[in-house]
Amino acid sequence: MMTCRDVNGLLVDYVDGALPPEVAAAVERHLASCEPCRAYLATYRKTRALGAQAARVEIPDEMRTRLRQFLLERAG
Amino acid sequence: MMSDEHLLLKDAAGGDASALEALMSRYGSRVYRLAHGITRNSADAEEIVQDVFLQMVRKGGAFEGRAALGSWIYRVTTNVALNKRRGKRREVETSLEECLPAWEADGHRSGPRAFLVADWSGRPDAELLSGEARRILEEAIDRLPEHYRAVLILKDVEELTNEDVAASIGDSVSAVKTRLHRARMALRELLTRRLGPQT
Ligand SMILES: [Zn+2]
Repeated sequence: MMTCRDVNGLLVDYVDGALPPEVAAAVERHLASCEPCRAYLATYRKTRALGAQAARVEIPDEMRTRLRQFLLERAG
Repeated sequence: MMSDEHLLLKDAAGGDASALEALMSRYGSRVYRLAHGITRNSADAEEIVQDVFLQMVRKGGAFEGRAALGSWIYRVTTNVALNKRRGKRREVETSLEECLPAWEADGHRSGPRAFLVADWSGRPDAELLSGEARRILEEAIDRLPEHYRAVLILKDVEELTNEDVAASIGDSVSAVKTRLHRARMALRELLTRRLGPQT
């Protein structure tokens, strides 16, 4: 039987869907009976999504303009 | 054989404005996101973007037969950004250990039950990405070591595979997975301490 700590150590691969099916099934059996691990997984996934959204920025237009100028002055 | 990207680089190196434009469209935001994610500072990120594109244009001819341009660009960006940060590393980047889950000898997580089962994941993104919650998130990201932030950006924003992240930062896949997990766990912990049990 997996412990909570075992499950935690597999989360990177679990959320990637990269675990072998029998290991993923064992994680899911643990989750079915463990409320703290369910809460952990849900907030872990949410954290990943929030971190990604917060960092998903585009290069500002004025910076792109300066970059173009900078490179044209130095290329060729 | 020359790929489309190698041709673009050659033309850009020769000062061809449309090739430069195409390179900037393809890589400008990716380089900026990674540089900004590592330094957390837009002026530093701009200098890094200029430096990386200049290297791309100057060394353009040297790519033939080498690794994918994308990996090379991420690698150069990571190196330049980490170098820039060296020396101005702030003291607030205290040990991450304090933000990682603590474990009992039997493999259960330590802590009060209300904290262990706190699940704030049903809150809408729009709410969590604005106001006080957003400030908490940004502060939590600031607390991560910069090489952890590099991995988070490449994996969770750029959505590279673990193998491509490893190639991009010149580290092993297992090191990438460890950093990624520790970074996410630390963010999750800091968010849960502020958003968790009261909901
Ligand atoms: Zn558990």
